[in-house]
Amino acid sequence: MSGTSLLLLAVAGPPARVSAQSAPQKKLGAALDRVFGPGTRADSLALDGVIVLRMFRGDELLGYAQVRNVKGKDQPITYLVATDTALRLRDIDILVYREAYGGEVAYEPWRRQFRGKSPADSLVVDRQIRGISGATISVNAVTAGVRAALASFARWRQDGRL
Amino acid sequence: MATRTAAPLAFLLLASFPFTGLAQEAVEATTVGGYGEVQYSNHSGMGTPGEVNLERFVIYLAHAFSDRISLRSELEIEDARLANGSASGEVALEQAYLDYRLVDAVTLRTGLILVPLGILNETHEPPTFNGVARPDFDHDVLPTTWRELGAGVVGHLPGASVVSVRLYLLNGLRADGFTAEEGIRGGRQEGQKASFANPSLTGRLEYGRPGLKLGAAFWYGGTAGQDSVLGTGAFDAPLAVVAADGRFEVGAFQFRGEFATIHVGDAQAINSRYGSAVGSRIAGGFLEGAFNLLRPIAPASRQTLLLFLRHERFDTHAAVPVGTARDPALARRITTFGVSYKPLWNIVFKADYQLRRNRAAQAQDEVFALGMGYQF
Repeated sequence: MSGTSLLLLAVAGPPARVSAQSAPQKKLGAALDRVFGPGTRADSLALDGVIVLRMFRGDELLGYAQVRNVKGKDQPITYLVATDTALRLRDIDILVYREAYGGEVAYEPWRRQFRGKSPADSLVVDRQIRGISGATISVNAVTAGVRAALASFARWRQDGRL
Repeated sequence: MATRTAAPLAFLLLASFPFTGLAQEAVEATTVGGYGEVQYSNHSGMGTPGEVNLERFVIYLAHAFSDRISLRSELEIEDARLANGSASGEVALEQAYLDYRLVDAVTLRTGLILVPLGILNETHEPPTFNGVARPDFDHDVLPTTWRELGAGVVGHLPGASVVSVRLYLLNGLRADGFTAEEGIRGGRQEGQKASFANPSLTGRLEYGRPGLKLGAAFWYGGTAGQDSVLGTGAFDAPLAVVAADGRFEVGAFQFRGEFATIHVGDAQAINSRYGSAVGSRIAGGFLEGAFNLLRPIAPASRQTLLLFLRHERFDTHAAVPVGTARDPALARRITTFGVSYKPLWNIVFKADYQLRRNRAAQAQDEVFALGMGYQF
């Protein structure tokens, strides 16, 4: 098991209280390891009721992460938004996909379009973000969700809270 | 005020989810959605006044019983109403199935399921396709909206997560409904006391990446319906469908195409048994190109104004069995051009003009059509 998930599990204790629509801890740990590399630790801030993870290696701050849900056609899509310290997207990840059609948003070729985008960048489907036929609802939902997450990071940064 | 916490991870997860209820409760949720379309069409020639029709009004109802098990259904009203003595109008279930998400890559599915052939059969919400009416190819060759009862599996190929798979075992078609003009369309059972005499296998492989989707699909199964003249075996009077489709977007351009070939085994026996004139091979396809005019004109706009041109060629008598005369009027060529305006991605206004030709040059006409559609 990787460093981050070990640490998170150590903090969390046994994973007894995971609700129906949360991300599996193992998956979240693996996603954070993939984005920030192994051997990181996390602490958290509660901002406007949202938990923001601050990712460190040693004492060096690597960036921030949020786990959010956005409604697809009929189910929540659970996704991770991870940025560097300048709030540029390091990556996004789809942690749980529950819809019947449109799972292509979890494909790496689609997700990688978001890398390097910052809150100031426009993120519009069929402009900066190419869609995937047959996954229109999921593509629009996740793109809007990433926009919302970046906007919240920018707001907290501007308020001096992040 | 920033608050430093050392909350357990499970708490982090819970607290950050607006969809989440109390911990340890399996959250059940019901979702309503829908799509619909209104169409105006006016055929060329004298004595053919225009007609307006509420073509489809569909209510989508989904329920998540748990994080892994959900029901999805579509209840459709065609032609606005169903009344005694009225020839048109239909109320029907278009889909109704349970999904069990076993693991991320594998979902089990059972119920009334959309057959995964072509593009339109699974993805037919009006804002997703150009043209007021669906392509004729998706009526006479691939009979949308084609759904049957059964079970199967959907998921991703292990080791190649950009390739998705669907594989279903469904009830078969019935050869007694096949016709010369509409091919296998009348053979669908659509979930109504369907004969399971001829279980059929259908599947699809799909490759997807931003701007590109390619699909290949098949259907194989008997159609005899235990009619002793055609045979009582599961695969008697076999029907085989092979279909391919592609969707490609680059810059302001959008392209798509669908192709299918259908082999009706024992077409000769079917025709002599039911007095029909079904082709032994039904084949064709369409190609469509579209250009988003707003992209060069208003690059910042989120709206879409597509100019499109589609050409369909198909023949429900691509081959005929011995004893059936080939009807050249069934070799159809349909060209449609027009516009689709989408103020939002899920609302569309359409206008198009259609040239309807066939090899016999009989009963050819032209159609002007307007349409409105939505999905949510």
